[in-house]
Amino acid sequence: MDDWGTLLTAANSGDGRAYATFLRTVTPVLRGIVRAKAGGLGVAVCEDVLQEVLLAVHLKRNTWQTGAPVRPWLYAITRYKVIDALRARGRGILLPIEDFSDDLAAEAGPDPTESADMAKMIAMLDDRSARLVQMIGLDGASTAEAGQALNMSEGAVRVALHRAFKALAVLRERHVK
Amino acid sequence: MKTDHLVAALAADTQIDRPPASWILPGLALALATAVLAIWGTLGFREDLMQSFATPLPAMRYVLTLALGVTGVRLALALSRPEGRGLAHLWPLAAVAALALGLLLWAFAATPQDGRQMAIVGKTMATCLISIPLLSILPVGVILFALHKGATTAPALASFAAGIAGSGLAAMVYATHCTEDSPLFYVTWYGLAITGVTLVSTLIGTRLLRW
Repeated sequence: MDDWGTLLTAANSGDGRAYATFLRTVTPVLRGIVRAKAGGLGVAVCEDVLQEVLLAVHLKRNTWQTGAPVRPWLYAITRYKVIDALRARGRGILLPIEDFSDDLAAEAGPDPTESADMAKMIAMLDDRSARLVQMIGLDGASTAEAGQALNMSEGAVRVALHRAFKALAVLRERHVK
Repeated sequence: MKTDHLVAALAADTQIDRPPASWILPGLALALATAVLAIWGTLGFREDLMQSFATPLPAMRYVLTLALGVTGVRLALALSRPEGRGLAHLWPLAAVAALALGLLLWAFAATPQDGRQMAIVGKTMATCLISIPLLSILPVGVILFALHKGATTAPALASFAAGIAGSGLAAMVYATHCTEDSPLFYVTWYGLAITGVTLVSTLIGTRLLRW
């Protein structure tokens, strides 16, 4: 088993730190795949798609069989989600931006890893779930700290956080349709 | 939201769902036990049940339907994983179908001409065509549910496998009641019932199994 396999095995048995390392390690690789397949959609949309892929990897990590190679599993999820995203966003209407580059004013260059879709969908969650995801993601709070701030036990925070991600996946499905 | 922030939030969620395979076997055991009870309570087992396991032609009904069930479940299990499309094999299912067709052809040749039509139509065609789909609901439902918990990248093929497996096992349970022992009857009508259930399962699953 390679390093990704070792990390994911530890992650799936509850090691949060190994899981964070796994996600951080695979993110740039997946970003490369998404941009290679959906580059025509522009960098910002690619980042939206990448975040959808990461959410899917997260929610479906129970389908990885311990000991199986990680890459075919991971790339199969990525391919499936990229195709889904391309279909949803209608590939047909996109024109290569290079054709218009002379006419377009230069943009102020937003952060290429910033994505709007996920923020919009988080805003559609109930207040407490949205705050949880914000506090832990943006402010770097631990589940214990978030629990203290929201007056919840750490166990309740874990359950609520898991439900929030499942709800995000459902929202995304509806959003796409 | 920045991707780094999303990753941080995802990493904090250490809850993980049960693997899809862990739903199938207990779920199917329950579904089949229910089917056996339903047969026992309504139509009743055939009187020579024990003998039917040991006599070649009636026993082939159990063998063929069980083979469909096992190969279908294996296919569904492989397809419940995202990378399963590349690992799944269709030939075991095709082999079982070919065996059934071979048996049908052999029975056609072995049955005297004037007895063929009676053997094909039998006496319980309607019961068969109603019971097998009804008995299929739970087992097919269980497999589709497990697949839904998984992440198939081939929804149509996966729900096809669920349909074959669930209705094959349902037909096996139905065979404990049915006394039509000519392959001309059972390959034809069990086959038609299984085909119908599989078609419906594929239609439902193709939508249900998207994620």
